[in-house]
Amino acid sequence: MTAYYLGIDIGSRTSKGVVTGDGRLLACHVLPSGVNYRAAAEKLREALLGKIGLSVSDIAATVATGQGAGNVPFPNEPVTDIRCCARGINGVFPAARTIIDVQAQSSQVIRLNGSGLVTGFVVSEKCAAGSGRFMEVIANVLQVELKDIGPLSLKSKNPVAFSTGCAVFGESEAVSRVAEGSAVEDILAGVHQALADKISALVDRVGMETDCALSGGGGLDTGLIRAVEAKLGVRMLVPPQPQIITALGAAIMAEETRGGH
Amino acid sequence: MTVEKKKRAISRLKSMYPLRALVDGMYKKAVEASKNGEPVAWCMVNWWAGDTVLQAMGVHTVHPEDYGAVCAAFGAAQPYLDRSDSEGFPSHMCGYARNCLGYAALMQDLGEIPPEAPMAGMPKPTLLLGSGYFCDTRYKWFQALGRYLDAPMWVLEMPHPGVPESRIEGNREHNIRFLVEELRELIGFLEKQLDRKMDYVRLGEIVDDTIEMNRVWHEVNELRKARPCPMHSRDFWSSMPASLYMASDPRVTAGLYRDMYDEVKSRVDNHTGAVPEEKYRVAFAELPPWHSLGFFNQLAERGWNFVIESWAYHPPKPVDLSGLSDPLERIAGLTYQYFSGYFEDAFQAGDGWGYFAHPYLEMVREYRCDGILLHPLLTCRTATNHLTVVQNQLMEQLKVPSLVVEGDIVDLNLFNPAEALRKAETFEETMQHYRAVRKEAGFDW
Repeated sequence: MTAYYLGIDIGSRTSKGVVTGDGRLLACHVLPSGVNYRAAAEKLREALLGKIGLSVSDIAATVATGQGAGNVPFPNEPVTDIRCCARGINGVFPAARTIIDVQAQSSQVIRLNGSGLVTGFVVSEKCAAGSGRFMEVIANVLQVELKDIGPLSLKSKNPVAFSTGCAVFGESEAVSRVAEGSAVEDILAGVHQALADKISALVDRVGMETDCALSGGGGLDTGLIRAVEAKLGVRMLVPPQPQIITALGAAIMAEETRGGH
Repeated sequence: MTVEKKKRAISRLKSMYPLRALVDGMYKKAVEASKNGEPVAWCMVNWWAGDTVLQAMGVHTVHPEDYGAVCAAFGAAQPYLDRSDSEGFPSHMCGYARNCLGYAALMQDLGEIPPEAPMAGMPKPTLLLGSGYFCDTRYKWFQALGRYLDAPMWVLEMPHPGVPESRIEGNREHNIRFLVEELRELIGFLEKQLDRKMDYVRLGEIVDDTIEMNRVWHEVNELRKARPCPMHSRDFWSSMPASLYMASDPRVTAGLYRDMYDEVKSRVDNHTGAVPEEKYRVAFAELPPWHSLGFFNQLAERGWNFVIESWAYHPPKPVDLSGLSDPLERIAGLTYQYFSGYFEDAFQAGDGWGYFAHPYLEMVREYRCDGILLHPLLTCRTATNHLTVVQNQLMEQLKVPSLVVEGDIVDLNLFNPAEALRKAETFEETMQHYRAVRKEAGFDW
């Protein structure tokens, strides 16, 4: 009989959840976190179970992670998002030894071993520089859909040099570049380079060993991926659904604690 | 219905409380002395050189650096920090200095000790004893106090022996002569200001008691190498000011440290640790977030025992100064030992990467640490600039990982305890990983 495991990642912007069974990903779901993390967790579980026709009693164990993990109202084991992210990437790319995890409010670089255990990490704290939020701010200024910023950026022939990676100052700098007549794709490419510079500084602090993977919502942005690859001089492994990796790791840990796969 | 009392995660030493009370008493005595017209000095930490002289001259002392920590620990610093900001001092300046300047400005407004001041507050000083040693803020801090206080200031300069040049032959003797001369000039200043003469016999007694006080305090900390560690860093931080700030007659303080030695030794003999289940032996660098010491209780609940902390706040390694007849030479020798004793290994190893960082290697090796928590202080360069070197060297030479948690000594706004705990939980996995790495590399812990 299959045992099912639930991984819940309540992030500051979006909540992600997955269900695994027999070591396989069976369902995933993403929704905005909003201001009520409890409600987001409930909705997430309901949507996930609905997708594969399971009930609450079918779930053998749950691990909750992310900023809102403490608000998850149903029984769970809390685990930090850094550990979950490492397990998630290890599950997808066992050869990965460095992870660049670009989240909404912060970015982190994680070193891991072949078992998916964290051997070092650094977090961009107290600053949204190098995070997905920075891209949201710029996309808003440029009136561009988030999903379009990657492809647009890749069309740039003359990236604008951004003097800052700061999400606050970056906004006013983007406004200035628009006023000067810079092309949208050049501004976006410049922003991606600024982000890559910030991420590279984090990588320097913790060291890089290949293979190197990129996870989090930032992994949906092809412009950012190419900029990071150019900056670090390595090819990034990017999972098909990079934003659910931490939730996947949570489910894997739930399975591990119950002696599953 | 009986309510089970929750057991504290850190088993505090009973002998710590009388030492902490000495610091409380230091402020109360200074306030009383001020009311009685006796001289009171505001002093920067001076590694016993100035405090012994002041005590022998009958001057009561308080230390604004310690008072910054007190205000932070009592949750009372914010009004002083805000006032400092509104006076135009930069918010990235030393938290202790901001606290002190804001306090002084407020005291000037009120004409008395601010009523909300923790402990008894710092009374208006008769004089100020500054020192430029160790950090850049200290050069200008007391000068800036002149806006709010009308008190004469003396700057006690100190040698800088913790550099490679201190290996030059004759350097030690030269530095001690320099400090003795500085102390003679300080005594001349005090005699003129206070219209009283130095009692050199009394000074000799105080100096000898200070040397003994520090020797016993050092021995207490040596006991912490035991496994499980019998004394947590929180007890160190609570007991440290009694020595570092000369909170009382050093003979009294030495007696209390002896009591602490007995209690810690008893714990060692009985294999009693400061936390119930010592899973991780952790070192701490630099100064702690005084406003959030409860954070260490949360870590203790997870089995973290902080077994050693920065050498900079520890007593000097014991040194025999009994052959020196001049008390000023003895105290200069003690202060010199503080500034040089911890660097012997660095000089002998010929490492040019930073003598400030080198003592951490010895600490972590001797106290068998699984990891170190580095606390870069966003308002203190002196306590921060060597930490990256510490992190790199501990990993390269000992395979011991570091956890970096940014914060500040006084400003609560710069420390995020939830984020710190998130990192700490993750770091446990890293410490476990490096236990295996060290074992494979032939280390014995």
